[in-house]
Amino acid sequence: MEENQTVNPESADKWEIQLRKGSLELAILAALWGGRLYGLEILRHLESGSDLVVAEGTVYPLLTRLRALGLVESEWVESDSGHPRKYYTLTAAGRERALEMGRTWARFAASLNNLLTPLNGAVKKETP
Amino acid sequence: MTLPDASQKAIDDYLTALRRQLRDLMEEDMNDIVEEIRAHILDKTTAGADPAQVAHTLAALGAPRDLAARYCTEEMMRRAEAHRSNTQKARIAGRWTVGILAGLLVLLVSAVGYSLGGFLIIIGIAKLMWPKGTGLWEANYPDGTWGLGFSGGSGNAPPANSHDLLGWWIYPIGFILGPAILYGTFRLGRWTLRKLWPSRKKFNYATTEPQTEI
Repeated sequence: MEENQTVNPESADKWEIQLRKGSLELAILAALWGGRLYGLEILRHLESGSDLVVAEGTVYPLLTRLRALGLVESEWVESDSGHPRKYYTLTAAGRERALEMGRTWARFAASLNNLLTPLNGAVKKETP
Repeated sequence: MTLPDASQKAIDDYLTALRRQLRDLMEEDMNDIVEEIRAHILDKTTAGADPAQVAHTLAALGAPRDLAARYCTEEMMRRAEAHRSNTQKARIAGRWTVGILAGLLVLLVSAVGYSLGGFLIIIGIAKLMWPKGTGLWEANYPDGTWGLGFSGGSGNAPPANSHDLLGWWIYPIGFILGPAILYGTFRLGRWTLRKLWPSRKKFNYATTEPQTEI
């Protein structure tokens, strides 16, 4: 019984991982909102603009999946570094999807924040 | 950018392993993925990077098997499957079109070959039976018209105003050239059909009947 009452840190981590994974698609679409970027630029953008710690091996397959879904398109561009880079751009469907996901996210975050009101005092105390 | 041999080898080995794990995807997708990962590794690796630095970059991407597994999503597999079936459909349609056209051509050539060969043999036999009335006749009619044609069996006398162009040559033509044309037509037809359907025999191996050679 006692085991059930303690918080399992592993399951809390898993929840956070799932949350990050779930929001990564929206974060990538949002990163491309301003124009075309290649894989490593997207990774750096995500890392600099948030505390999302993104595994490199996750972003590239996700970009390929988004391309297969027609939400982004890609083109190979020669670079000064001596090798070509694959740049991604949002398609019209991708822009629409980003807006739709952004709206859903905002609505969800607002309603969850409401539900979290009782916790607010405790959470604020914890954060320095 | 130049890299030490060991670093370059580590990158090549990683990409080879990744390519092997992506074999179920469309070739175009596979090449695209491998090239993008190569570009990523090179972007993260400085010139002259030692194997340890390269190993760090590769570790951040994850093992080739795990990375490949993330690529082999339902969408990508469906795409590969659709591409495979489209290619297959196009190949079958192409094979049928070529087969039908070649079949018609073989039919036409065979019809001409067998008719000509058979006709020449018949003319040879006719010459044996009605030597005087059978031949390749050139006719010059009194009204100035001209005619040319084989005839045989319509009586044992040459047609009016005509003379035979072949004479006894009609025998080798009827009995050697005629069968040669028949045999040649048969061989040509069989060769063409074997070229068109080379695996025909392989699929019939289970039949107890002797193989029909066309």
